[in-house]
Amino acid sequence: MPAGEYDEVDLVPVQTYWQLVRRRYFQNRMAVMALFLMAGLITAAIVFPIIGGDAWAKTNLTRGPSDPISITAPLGYDNLGINIFFRLMKALQTSLIIGFFAVLIIAGIGTTVGSIAGYAGGWIDNALMRFVDIVLSLPGFFLVLMLVAFMGSGNVFVIVFAIGLTGWTTAARLVRAEFLRLRESDFAQAAKALGASDRRIVVRHMIPSALAPVVVASTLGIADSVVTEAALSFLGFGLRPPEASLGNMLTNAQEYFYRHPLWIWYPGIMLILVVLAASFLGDGLRDALDPRQRIEA
Amino acid sequence: MATYILRRVIQAIPIVIGISLISFAIVYLTPGSPVDKFRSPRVSPETIQNLIRLYGLDKPLPVQFWNWFTHFWSFPWDNTAWGYSFTDGLPVRDKIFQRIPSTLLLMGTALVVTVVLAIPIGILQAVKQYSRADKIITTFETIGYAMPTFWLGLILKQFFAVQLNILPLYGQNTLGKQGNIPDMLLHLVLPVTTLAIISVAGWSRYMRASMLEVMRQDYMRTARSKGLSGNQVIRRHAMRNALIPIVTLLGLTIPALLSGAAITETVFSWPGLGWLGVQSVTERDYPVVLAVVMIGGVMVILGNLMADILYAVVDPRIHY
Repeated sequence: MPAGEYDEVDLVPVQTYWQLVRRRYFQNRMAVMALFLMAGLITAAIVFPIIGGDAWAKTNLTRGPSDPISITAPLGYDNLGINIFFRLMKALQTSLIIGFFAVLIIAGIGTTVGSIAGYAGGWIDNALMRFVDIVLSLPGFFLVLMLVAFMGSGNVFVIVFAIGLTGWTTAARLVRAEFLRLRESDFAQAAKALGASDRRIVVRHMIPSALAPVVVASTLGIADSVVTEAALSFLGFGLRPPEASLGNMLTNAQEYFYRHPLWIWYPGIMLILVVLAASFLGDGLRDALDPRQRIEA
Repeated sequence: MATYILRRVIQAIPIVIGISLISFAIVYLTPGSPVDKFRSPRVSPETIQNLIRLYGLDKPLPVQFWNWFTHFWSFPWDNTAWGYSFTDGLPVRDKIFQRIPSTLLLMGTALVVTVVLAIPIGILQAVKQYSRADKIITTFETIGYAMPTFWLGLILKQFFAVQLNILPLYGQNTLGKQGNIPDMLLHLVLPVTTLAIISVAGWSRYMRASMLEVMRQDYMRTARSKGLSGNQVIRRHAMRNALIPIVTLLGLTIPALLSGAAITETVFSWPGLGWLGVQSVTERDYPVVLAVVMIGGVMVILGNLMADILYAVVDPRIHY
């Protein structure tokens, strides 16, 4: 056989899994837009609170809703003379921080429970999954409400903890399913044959392979967590003024329904943007990470 | 079928015990006590002790749990079965039963509106896939799905009740018009619209996907090649099969509507179970909180069971 034919084969670039993932992700227009939107929101939530300093909480009785809007106050001032734009950005920052940390807890508990159930199998698996069924049967928002109300409303840690503690069930189910599949896979069997301990097989080999669904579930979970926090704060169980939260900004705006109808839109639009960004990011990641979806080179 | 239902009911028993244990633990193991709000210099310590004894809070926790659990499931429930409210001393059973019709009215209307709108919208989108109408509707669905329920409620309230002033702002009846049906229907419009917009957004997406899945099947081509008109193929073959997965959605939506209704009911001060739950959490009215959470949990279990049974009823390919 002439050597040229082999050269031609070598010319086809070898793509690693992550290169494929990146390519698939960037072919999805909505996913790319969501990535930019999320990046923009995160940047805004970091930059504007720094620029504004304490403007998000500083009351100023010489200013009020009737003051004209300006570059330093593009959304005007509220009833206490607080700069609405900077307060909104601070609230966005709070929401995103709560969302991210809640999702970390969700991913942490979900991965732990799911991997133990999937790897151990038998009665341990059975017991853990019945426990998941029980948690899933409880009305979710109510459970968060109870935890927050009884353990200390207005406390950021309690809110994050409550959202995390009630939201991990989907992640656990996904990791378990992945583990059931991976446990029988060749590389896990090979590691076992080489004398690797259970701990090593789980931590070094199986968790990295099972991470894709957790990443997807976590990204989608950000949307839920942010909305749950806003609902809690709106009902008066979450953050309270002077702390800024998209939820408590809505509570305040509700009192100025008639005179300042726009106030209710600002936090609402922020919430929708966060939810849209997180959902499309999650959907895009799911489509990109799924190895069963082959892409034609 | 009967043995299947029986097996599922038996399987549900440990889950019911589990949700009872967890709700009870959250209520009684978290810091704070319902008698805290009575503590003041004007209330003597003996009175507080009497209250603690009256509520049974001085007994060991397992005893308290057992008392509550056995009473909670003592069918048929009499006045004392679910205990008495810590705030007004009324039997919890009466407080709950009083609220159930309002919640059912709100949820039922929202569900009917959802089904009536979402199914035709989903079918239309699937039949005219990638058309301009499909794309516009998809955009609205995406936004509707991303909107937080309570915010949508506020916006509708602001627009229709405050600015246009054509619909009532909150409540179930105008003061002095209790039981007046046209007045109540008027009050129902905004909360139902809030719930319906959110669930139509989800349901129609689901219906569209289900329809597209069916339209790819071989039997659709068979039906067409038999010479059936496009309309008949859609109505008799595609729609009927596409509705099967929707039945599952029905069983899963009913409990979700109860949770979603909690927020909507609070926004509109609609006197249903959800609002009662939120109120009693604020007031640490433990017996009422427990009853509302338990009803929510039992609804989820029943909803799942109903979904599975209905699935077998509508899909002759499924046998249990």
